[in-house]
Amino acid sequence: MANATINLIDKTLVGSIGSRPGALGFLTDTTLCIGCKACEVACKQWNQLPMDDFGWTGHSYDNSTDLSATTWRQVAFVEQITNGDGRVHEMPPFQSNWLMLSDVCKHCVQAGCMQACPTGAIIRTELDTVVVQQDVCNGCGYCVPSCPYGVIDLSPTDFKAHKCTLCYDRSKEGLEPACAKSCPTDSIQFGPVEQLLERAKQRVAELHASGVQSAYIYGDRSIGGTGGIEGDNAFFILTAEPEVYNLPAFPVLPQNKTGAAFLSMFGAAIALSIAAVATLRGK
Amino acid sequence: MHMGESYKRNWEPRRGGRSVSDESSASYYNVPVIHKPHWKWLIIWYFFLGGISSASYVIAAIADIFGGREGDRIKRVGRYLSLAALIPSPLLLILDLGRPERFYLMLRIIKLRSPMSVGTWGLTIFGLFSALSGVIQAAHDGLFGWFKPLNRVLLALPSTTINGLGAVFGFFVGGYTGVLLGITAVPLWAKNALLLGPLFLSSALSSGAAAITLVLSLVRGTNHRAIARLERLDTVTLLAELGLILLAQANAGPVISRPIREGWLGNVFRWGVLGTGIIAPLTMQIRAILARKQPSRHAAMLSSALTLIGGFLLRYVMVTAGRVSADDPQSTFEFARKPPK
Repeated sequence: MANATINLIDKTLVGSIGSRPGALGFLTDTTLCIGCKACEVACKQWNQLPMDDFGWTGHSYDNSTDLSATTWRQVAFVEQITNGDGRVHEMPPFQSNWLMLSDVCKHCVQAGCMQACPTGAIIRTELDTVVVQQDVCNGCGYCVPSCPYGVIDLSPTDFKAHKCTLCYDRSKEGLEPACAKSCPTDSIQFGPVEQLLERAKQRVAELHASGVQSAYIYGDRSIGGTGGIEGDNAFFILTAEPEVYNLPAFPVLPQNKTGAAFLSMFGAAIALSIAAVATLRGK
Repeated sequence: MHMGESYKRNWEPRRGGRSVSDESSASYYNVPVIHKPHWKWLIIWYFFLGGISSASYVIAAIADIFGGREGDRIKRVGRYLSLAALIPSPLLLILDLGRPERFYLMLRIIKLRSPMSVGTWGLTIFGLFSALSGVIQAAHDGLFGWFKPLNRVLLALPSTTINGLGAVFGFFVGGYTGVLLGITAVPLWAKNALLLGPLFLSSALSSGAAAITLVLSLVRGTNHRAIARLERLDTVTLLAELGLILLAQANAGPVISRPIREGWLGNVFRWGVLGTGIIAPLTMQIRAILARKQPSRHAAMLSSALTLIGGFLLRYVMVTAGRVSADDPQSTFEFARKPPK
């Protein structure tokens, strides 16, 4: 069913991201991820993020489940081992039937959270990353439903919005973010977006040549960075459909429709005021 | 955007005949794809009261300009009601902030692409108009007789012009709350981004007309013609609301509209919003129109109370159902399944 969506990809847009010059970003190559969660831990350590609800999901090796105000890197464990009796008798050569993805803020070229923010707390830095200024945020929470990927969230401790800053304090000094630094397989790579994109294209070609026909870039204008988002500065190499990793295939920038929605509202206002004049008129 | 040739990706076959694409329809352990807003009762009450405040202001303006002598009563109640419903509105909004003491930072900038930013400014400006008109009306009613200088200034102000200008912002405040919901990634709202503004606006007007009717019918010796006119406005706006709400449900499609069709919320939507809040008052009003009768005072009271309940429940259902749809991965996937043109 979902297969059909992938066939609709506009091939001319594959590998195109509208980043501004000098943009820094992440390439997260899921084919190299071993699910060690070093990125999650390093992120929490460097950014001094408190622990989340210390719970046990019971559905996989993944107990952090989702990105949140206190989890800015999150490793998804997609365990695909079902053959009727629930046991695997023979492992396929690739990734032992595990799909792992270290999810992170996409640092969209046109960011929904930033356009929604009424205080101007969410800004675009000189590195083309999207950062929440904690001294300005008043916790209105409008950025939260405005992110098409479900990244940003309000913190239950200080009631303000938090998300990945691409380790602004490190990256502005030329250091790589904590997650990329700690990744033992270089599944997470950090650098200028153009360079990472070239590397990603090469890697996808390599994967295709070695038999992984399903590899593709998620987060360019053809898939993942669609609908006015103009691509993500943090993009991924995936080998299954986006939905498998809990990513939307063709997200749209909510603010695309702001003008049209207000126009339609004012159209209704004119129609309703005519109705009101007609019904309330008197001598 | 040019659509290039389509090409097929070959998904790696998995064990036991199950492929990755089979798994994908199940999503990632049902973990929500997007985060839902935290909006609950404070926001629902604000949407309701803000709607009444803006709509009674608009109705007051129109009654003032076009309503003739009977319009006077409507205008008077409308202006007072607008101010009364307005006063709690900013408090509710500020209390809903994570950091209420920083509310003023919203008035630091204006962002035209953010309905939250535009809405904050719209509500601020409308609030000033509503307060001014309320005070002017009080002066006309002799409530400022004890303070002559202020009384003289207030009586000298052009109340009709002020009310008319403020009505533009009144329309804005009545409808922007729907736009605010629509300009998000929440599937049920985003899918209906162009419909929610008109829907909330017509619902605000029906609630406003109903609230004024209720006040007028509680006051003894009220002119029945004023009530009859408000009832007619209520009928028209309820019809618009009914049309828009059904259109929105159809537009959302079977997956995304699930929260307003199923379970507890589905029942509140069907029996509360549609049945109690729209169909019941509409039936009463249309029967009175067909019988060419003026609605009795008690009938007007009942139908306006029902309309108000419906207006509140509509906001409860739309806000809550949006949160439910944000939690449903299939709903988000459905919304983001086709490449945008």
